Amino acid sequence: MINPQTLVFVLIGASILLILLVVIRPSITASREGKIIAFLALVIVPVVAAGVGASEHMERSEQTQFCLSCHIMEPYGKSLYVDDPSYVPAAHFQNQRVPAEKACYTCHTDYAMFGTIHAKLNGLHHVYVYWFGRPMHPIHLYRPYNNRECLHCHAGARSFEDSPTHAAMMSDLKSNKLSCTTSGCHDTFHPVDKLDQAKFWKRTE
Amino acid sequence: MLRKMRISGILLIFGLVIEALSLLWNTAVSFMSFAVIGGLCFASGILLFLYSLVSSNISGLNE
Repeated sequence: MINPQTLVFVLIGASILLILLVVIRPSITASREGKIIAFLALVIVPVVAAGVGASEHMERSEQTQFCLSCHIMEPYGKSLYVDDPSYVPAAHFQNQRVPAEKACYTCHTDYAMFGTIHAKLNGLHHVYVYWFGRPMHPIHLYRPYNNRECLHCHAGARSFEDSPTHAAMMSDLKSNKLSCTTSGCHDTFHPVDKLDQAKFWKRTE
Repeated sequence: MLRKMRISGILLIFGLVIEALSLLWNTAVSFMSFAVIGGLCFASGILLFLYSLVSSNISGLNE
Protein backbone atom coordinates (compact mmCIF):
# COMPACT_ATOMS: atom_id res chain seq x y z
CA MET A 1 0.00 0.00 0.00
CA ILE A 2 1.42 3.33 -1.07
CA ASN A 3 1.96 5.78 1.78
CA PRO A 4 -0.05 9.04 1.35
CA GLN A 5 3.06 11.20 1.73
CA THR A 6 4.81 9.28 -1.06
CA LEU A 7 1.72 9.74 -3.23
CA VAL A 8 1.82 13.51 -2.65
CA PHE A 9 5.52 13.66 -3.55
CA VAL A 10 4.94 11.60 -6.71
CA LEU A 11 2.07 13.92 -7.70
CA ILE A 12 4.17 17.01 -7.00
CA GLY A 13 7.06 15.59 -9.07
CA ALA A 14 4.77 14.67 -11.97
CA SER A 15 3.11 18.05 -11.80
CA ILE A 16 6.45 19.94 -11.85
CA LEU A 17 7.66 17.89 -14.85
CA LEU A 18 4.47 18.63 -16.79
CA ILE A 19 4.62 22.33 -15.95
CA LEU A 20 8.29 22.49 -16.97
CA LEU A 21 7.39 20.94 -20.33
CA VAL A 22 4.84 23.69 -20.97
CA VAL A 23 7.09 26.47 -19.63
CA ILE A 24 10.19 25.38 -21.57
CA ARG A 25 8.35 24.51 -24.81
CA PRO A 26 5.25 26.71 -24.91
CA SER A 27 5.07 26.13 -28.68
CA ILE A 28 3.41 22.76 -27.98
CA THR A 29 0.24 24.65 -27.07
CA ALA A 30 -0.24 25.52 -30.76
CA SER A 31 -1.80 22.09 -31.32
CA ARG A 32 -5.06 20.83 -29.80
CA GLU A 33 -3.20 18.08 -27.86
CA GLY A 34 -0.71 20.65 -26.59
CA LYS A 35 -3.56 22.79 -25.27
CA ILE A 36 -4.97 19.79 -23.42
CA ILE A 37 -1.51 19.06 -21.94
CA ALA A 38 -1.18 22.72 -20.87
CA PHE A 39 -4.60 22.64 -19.20
CA LEU A 40 -3.72 19.42 -17.42
CA ALA A 41 -0.31 20.74 -16.38
CA LEU A 42 -1.42 24.18 -15.24
CA VAL A 43 -4.84 23.42 -13.75
CA ILE A 44 -5.90 19.82 -13.20
CA VAL A 45 -2.70 18.18 -11.89
CA PRO A 46 -1.73 21.09 -9.56
CA VAL A 47 -5.29 21.20 -8.16
CA VAL A 48 -5.15 17.46 -7.46
CA ALA A 49 -1.64 17.75 -5.95
CA ALA A 50 -2.73 20.68 -3.76
CA GLY A 51 -5.89 18.84 -2.70
CA VAL A 52 -4.02 15.67 -1.72
CA GLY A 53 -1.41 17.82 0.07
CA ALA A 54 -4.12 19.72 1.96
CA SER A 55 -5.76 16.45 2.98
CA GLU A 56 -2.41 15.12 4.23
CA HIS A 57 -1.82 18.33 6.22
CA MET A 58 -5.32 18.06 7.72
CA GLU A 59 -4.64 14.45 8.72
CA ARG A 60 -1.32 15.43 10.32
CA SER A 61 -2.89 18.33 12.19
CA GLU A 62 -4.65 15.75 14.40
CA GLN A 63 -1.33 14.57 15.77
CA THR A 64 -0.09 15.45 19.26
CA GLN A 65 3.23 16.54 17.73
CA PHE A 66 1.39 19.15 15.65
CA CYS A 67 -0.50 20.62 18.64
CA LEU A 68 2.67 20.79 20.71
CA SER A 69 4.61 22.58 17.97
CA CYS A 70 3.31 25.91 19.34
CA HIS A 71 5.27 27.11 22.42
CA ILE A 72 2.08 27.93 24.27
CA MET A 73 1.08 24.24 24.20
CA GLU A 74 4.38 22.84 25.53
CA PRO A 75 3.34 22.78 29.22
CA TYR A 76 0.13 20.99 28.24
CA GLY A 77 2.20 18.35 26.48
CA LYS A 78 4.43 18.01 29.55
CA SER A 79 1.38 17.67 31.79
CA LEU A 80 0.53 14.41 30.01
CA TYR A 81 3.59 12.88 31.68
CA VAL A 82 2.72 13.92 35.27
CA ASP A 83 3.01 10.84 37.46
CA ASP A 84 -0.34 11.23 39.23
CA PRO A 85 -3.39 9.23 38.13
CA SER A 86 -5.79 11.83 39.54
CA TYR A 87 -5.01 14.04 36.52
CA VAL A 88 -7.50 12.93 33.89
CA PRO A 89 -5.46 13.72 30.72
CA ALA A 90 -2.23 12.21 32.13
CA ALA A 91 -4.04 9.02 33.20
CA HIS A 92 -5.68 8.70 29.78
CA PHE A 93 -2.43 9.33 27.90
CA GLN A 94 -0.21 7.08 30.01
CA ASN A 95 -2.66 4.17 30.05
CA GLN A 96 -3.36 4.46 26.31
CA ARG A 97 -7.05 5.15 26.86
CA VAL A 98 -6.46 7.60 24.01
CA PRO A 99 -3.99 7.00 21.15
CA ALA A 100 -0.74 8.68 22.23
CA GLU A 101 -0.11 10.12 18.75
CA LYS A 102 -3.54 11.79 18.69
CA ALA A 103 -3.96 12.51 22.40
CA CYS A 104 -5.02 16.19 22.13
CA TYR A 105 -7.39 15.67 19.22
CA THR A 106 -9.11 12.60 20.71
CA CYS A 107 -10.33 14.52 23.75
CA HIS A 108 -10.64 18.00 22.25
CA THR A 109 -12.76 17.28 19.20
CA ASP A 110 -16.55 17.37 19.05
CA TYR A 111 -18.12 13.95 18.57
CA ALA A 112 -21.09 15.45 16.78
CA MET A 113 -22.15 16.06 13.20
CA PHE A 114 -19.52 18.35 11.61
CA GLY A 115 -17.42 17.90 14.78
CA THR A 116 -14.26 17.26 12.76
CA ILE A 117 -14.85 20.36 10.62
CA HIS A 118 -15.53 22.37 13.76
CA ALA A 119 -12.31 21.10 15.35
CA LYS A 120 -10.31 21.96 12.21
CA LEU A 121 -11.79 25.46 12.08
CA ASN A 122 -10.94 25.94 15.75
CA GLY A 123 -7.42 24.72 14.99
CA LEU A 124 -7.08 27.28 12.17
CA HIS A 125 -8.31 29.96 14.57
CA HIS A 126 -5.72 28.88 17.16
CA VAL A 127 -2.92 29.06 14.61
CA TYR A 128 -4.15 32.50 13.44
CA VAL A 129 -4.33 33.86 17.01
CA TYR A 130 -0.93 32.37 17.88
CA TRP A 131 0.75 34.07 14.92
CA PHE A 132 -1.22 37.24 14.38
CA GLY A 133 -3.22 37.89 17.55
CA ARG A 134 -2.89 37.69 21.31
CA PRO A 135 -3.31 34.17 22.70
CA MET A 136 -5.30 34.05 25.93
CA HIS A 137 -3.22 33.56 29.05
CA PRO A 138 -3.81 31.09 30.56
CA ILE A 139 -5.53 29.38 27.67
CA HIS A 140 -8.96 27.91 28.34
CA LEU A 141 -11.73 26.13 26.47
CA TYR A 142 -14.18 28.23 24.45
CA ARG A 143 -17.11 26.60 26.23
CA PRO A 144 -17.56 24.08 29.07
CA TYR A 145 -16.36 20.57 28.29
CA ASN A 146 -19.25 18.51 26.95
CA ASN A 147 -19.91 15.04 28.47
CA ARG A 148 -20.52 13.81 24.93
CA GLU A 149 -16.75 13.76 24.38
CA CYS A 150 -16.21 11.51 27.46
CA LEU A 151 -19.21 9.31 26.70
CA HIS A 152 -18.03 8.73 23.16
CA CYS A 153 -15.65 6.14 24.66
CA HIS A 154 -16.98 5.50 28.17
CA ALA A 155 -20.66 4.95 27.42
CA GLY A 156 -21.28 1.24 27.30
CA ALA A 157 -18.02 0.40 29.07
CA ARG A 158 -18.60 -2.00 31.97
CA SER A 159 -16.40 -0.07 34.42
CA PHE A 160 -18.41 3.07 33.69
CA GLU A 161 -21.94 1.66 33.47
CA ASP A 162 -21.62 -0.66 36.49
CA SER A 163 -20.20 1.99 38.78
CA PRO A 164 -22.92 2.82 41.41
CA THR A 165 -21.85 6.50 41.42
CA HIS A 166 -22.29 6.79 37.65
CA ALA A 167 -25.49 4.69 37.62
CA ALA A 168 -27.14 7.05 40.11
CA MET A 169 -26.67 10.04 37.83
CA MET A 170 -26.56 8.37 34.42
CA SER A 171 -29.47 10.28 32.85
CA ASP A 172 -28.02 13.63 33.94
CA LEU A 173 -24.61 12.65 32.64
CA LYS A 174 -26.00 11.52 29.28
CA SER A 175 -28.10 14.65 28.89
CA ASN A 176 -25.10 16.83 29.87
CA LYS A 177 -27.09 18.34 32.77
CA LEU A 178 -24.36 17.27 35.17
CA SER A 179 -20.82 17.66 33.92
CA CYS A 180 -18.28 14.85 34.32
CA THR A 181 -15.85 17.63 35.25
CA THR A 182 -18.00 18.77 38.19
CA SER A 183 -15.97 19.67 41.23
CA GLY A 184 -15.29 16.57 43.27
CA CYS A 185 -15.64 14.22 40.30
CA HIS A 186 -13.14 14.35 37.41
CA ASP A 187 -12.01 17.93 37.94
CA THR A 188 -8.22 17.78 37.65
CA PHE A 189 -6.79 18.32 34.19
CA HIS A 190 -3.54 19.85 32.96
CA PRO A 191 -1.58 21.07 36.01
CA VAL A 192 0.44 23.58 33.97
CA ASP A 193 0.97 25.95 36.90
CA LYS A 194 2.34 23.16 39.13
CA LEU A 195 4.69 21.47 36.68
CA ASP A 196 7.80 22.61 38.58
CA GLN A 197 6.65 20.60 41.62
CA ALA A 198 5.35 17.60 39.68
CA LYS A 199 6.92 14.17 39.41
CA PHE A 200 7.02 12.85 35.86
CA TRP A 201 6.45 9.41 34.42
CA LYS A 202 9.11 8.07 32.07
CA ARG A 203 8.06 5.67 29.36
CA THR A 204 10.14 2.46 29.52
CA GLU A 205 11.52 1.57 26.10
CA MET B 1 -0.41 34.59 -23.77
CA LEU B 2 2.84 32.60 -23.72
CA ARG B 3 4.43 35.01 -21.24
CA LYS B 4 1.44 34.76 -18.89
CA MET B 5 1.52 30.98 -19.22
CA ARG B 6 5.21 30.91 -18.27
CA ILE B 7 4.63 33.12 -15.24
CA SER B 8 1.68 30.96 -14.25
CA GLY B 9 3.85 27.82 -14.57
CA ILE B 10 6.61 29.36 -12.44
CA LEU B 11 4.08 30.36 -9.75
CA LEU B 12 2.66 26.85 -9.73
CA ILE B 13 6.13 25.26 -9.49
CA PHE B 14 6.89 27.59 -6.58
CA GLY B 15 3.62 26.57 -4.89
CA LEU B 16 4.38 22.87 -5.42
CA VAL B 17 7.91 23.23 -4.02
CA ILE B 18 6.48 24.97 -0.94
CA GLU B 19 3.94 22.15 -0.58
CA ALA B 20 6.71 19.53 -0.79
CA LEU B 21 8.87 21.39 1.76
CA SER B 22 5.94 21.92 4.12
CA LEU B 23 5.29 18.18 4.18
CA LEU B 24 8.76 17.51 5.56
CA TRP B 25 7.69 18.86 8.97
CA ASN B 26 4.57 18.43 11.05
CA THR B 27 4.28 21.82 12.71
CA ALA B 28 1.89 24.76 12.66
CA VAL B 29 4.54 26.80 10.78
CA SER B 30 4.71 24.27 7.94
CA PHE B 31 0.92 24.13 7.76
CA MET B 32 0.69 27.92 7.63
CA SER B 33 3.38 28.16 4.91
CA PHE B 34 1.47 25.60 2.85
CA ALA B 35 -1.89 27.29 3.39
CA VAL B 36 -0.81 30.90 2.98
CA ILE B 37 2.25 31.05 0.68
CA GLY B 38 1.54 27.81 -1.19
CA GLY B 39 -2.16 28.61 -1.47
CA LEU B 40 -1.44 32.08 -2.85
CA CYS B 41 0.99 30.70 -5.44
CA PHE B 42 -1.49 28.00 -6.52
CA ALA B 43 -4.42 30.38 -6.74
CA SER B 44 -2.53 33.11 -8.59
CA GLY B 45 -0.86 30.61 -10.96
CA ILE B 46 -4.12 28.93 -11.93
CA LEU B 47 -6.06 32.19 -12.19
CA LEU B 48 -3.34 33.76 -14.33
CA PHE B 49 -3.41 30.78 -16.70
CA LEU B 50 -7.21 30.88 -16.95
CA TYR B 51 -7.05 34.65 -17.50
CA SER B 52 -4.47 34.15 -20.26
CA LEU B 53 -6.87 31.73 -21.99
CA VAL B 54 -9.80 34.14 -21.74
CA SER B 55 -7.83 37.23 -22.75
CA SER B 56 -6.29 35.46 -25.79
CA ASN B 57 -9.76 34.33 -26.92
CA ILE B 58 -11.12 37.87 -26.57
CA SER B 59 -8.23 39.38 -28.52
CA GLY B 60 -8.70 36.65 -31.16
CA LEU B 61 -12.37 37.53 -31.47
CA ASN B 62 -11.59 41.26 -31.73
CA GLU B 63 -9.12 40.63 -34.54
